[in-house]
Amino acid sequence: MTESQTYDLRSVMVNTFIRAVEKGVNLAVVVSDSTSTSKIGPFQEKYPHRVVNVGIAEQNLVGVAAGLSLGGFVSVTANAACFLVARANEQVKNDVCYSNTNVKLVGLNAGVCYGPLASTHHAIDDVSILLGLGNILIFAPSDPIDTAKIFEFALNYVGPVYIRMDSDKFPVLHKDDYRFEPGKADLLRAGKDISILAMGSTVYEACLAAQALQTDSMDAEVISVSSIRPLDREAIAASIRKTGKVITVEEHSLHGGLGSLISEIMAEENIRADFVRLGISQGQFAKAGPRKEIRAYYKIDKDGIVETAKKLVFKK
Amino acid sequence: MSNPFHLKPEEIVQKAKGIRKKIIRTNVGAGQGHTGSDLSEADILACLFFRILNINPERMDDPNRDRFILSKGHGVCGLYCTLAEAGYLPESQLETYLRFDSALPGHPVRQKCSFVELNTGALGHGLSVGVGLGLSAKMTGRDFRVFVLTGDGELQEGSNWEAAMSAAHFKLDNLVFIVDRNTLQLADRTETIMGLEPLTEKFSAFGFDVHRTNGNDPRAFIDTLEKLDTRNGKPKAIIAKTVKGKGVSYIEDRAAWHHRIPKGEEVLRAIEELE
Repeated sequence: MTESQTYDLRSVMVNTFIRAVEKGVNLAVVVSDSTSTSKIGPFQEKYPHRVVNVGIAEQNLVGVAAGLSLGGFVSVTANAACFLVARANEQVKNDVCYSNTNVKLVGLNAGVCYGPLASTHHAIDDVSILLGLGNILIFAPSDPIDTAKIFEFALNYVGPVYIRMDSDKFPVLHKDDYRFEPGKADLLRAGKDISILAMGSTVYEACLAAQALQTDSMDAEVISVSSIRPLDREAIAASIRKTGKVITVEEHSLHGGLGSLISEIMAEENIRADFVRLGISQGQFAKAGPRKEIRAYYKIDKDGIVETAKKLVFKK
Repeated sequence: MSNPFHLKPEEIVQKAKGIRKKIIRTNVGAGQGHTGSDLSEADILACLFFRILNINPERMDDPNRDRFILSKGHGVCGLYCTLAEAGYLPESQLETYLRFDSALPGHPVRQKCSFVELNTGALGHGLSVGVGLGLSAKMTGRDFRVFVLTGDGELQEGSNWEAAMSAAHFKLDNLVFIVDRNTLQLADRTETIMGLEPLTEKFSAFGFDVHRTNGNDPRAFIDTLEKLDTRNGKPKAIIAKTVKGKGVSYIEDRAAWHHRIPKGEEVLRAIEELE
């Protein structure tokens, strides 16, 4: 993988499925008419009997996945996050989380990936909803290497996992020797002036922002919070204590997502810092339109992060 | 694998009486519960656990065991009492039903009881999970069967029909969906609240192999279940006609007894009637 190249994270995911089966993982992938959404084609070609399509029926999608796991499979659901988390919420709660079945729920095209298709198709509440469910691990990969590592972990972990996925292509942000560890903050760039904590799709924007801020002599620290549950409270607290300034960036509602989690840490650890949460404003559905413009509107893109960081650092 | 008891229908009738007495005592002891629902399903559970289900109680993690899902999770006291009648649970444990942090809470929890396959309680979940289990058997060449017991009011949940569509689509002839058809739900008659009939035609139209039988008559129920063709490519729907509260005259067929508990003289009268 080279830096200039970008990769579709869903294709990276599907490759991990193929490798898992080759390594002996008894995998079943359940889709709800979402074969194209999930880019499952190459897996399906190789292992047609391991793909179950339940049609447009998300409740059944999750229930069937739970049943397959009770029958000995590592089951993965792959469909759009908006329909998974909202429509099948009770199946996620009871059949997967409460029953502690070995199901990996993949929320595809999360955040505002479906930009102009508007709020029925946006998933800006998935993390907050799933955080309310006791035992499910929650991950959001930021680049192709992260995606591969997170899926490799999830497919070998026994128990419920949610993985928040993006539809875009992303360049490599990690070095080859990067190791994903659940509950470990992923320090992408060390800095001393400000902590930028980003989740999933916004990590790349945070990296671009940090690069741009360098020209203004600002040394920004970038942490990818790819492991949302478990969360690395210590490393996050240490970073905020060090810089005294923090921005959280998420393509998610400001209710109950990354920014809320960081607020909890700061309150409980008694950390005083200048703090801005960037995300979809509280109590609102996201604007509809081209995704780039939505992200600019909520300042969760490079320019928005740069502007916010400058305000925090220089205009005090 | 076989059933550890494989009792005759007349012996199962006696077991069902024992289960019903335990249901009355356990609900009375706990001071709450779903008496009517528990009594409704007692014969069905007795048939399953004393004859039909191929399980080894010592090895409830055996991948080849038949699976039983109590989709009507509120009937869990009926399940606990059946397990106690079979000696799978110590009878004394029934006294802990509904107590703080008990192994026997008011809806089944698989982490607490090896005979529970799925944590139910929210209605309309069992069939989808049953479909997944049935599929897993087909995909791995195992020949276990999957039995899902649903309440009839529960069929008002749309998720059942998503699951039903897929059960037929995947040709799950190893899946047996048993409807405890007592015609009562929490508030009133099913047909008053939200009509289910014609149920046979609905399941037939969804591609099921449908059988009507008497769910309070072990002979008829066993006869139906043992004649099922598990190689015909069709999931099975068993519409088991039952009486809610069966066995106790003043509880029978009364919606008010969905979760009422006998008090004072009612308790003695119930036990007397069940002797």
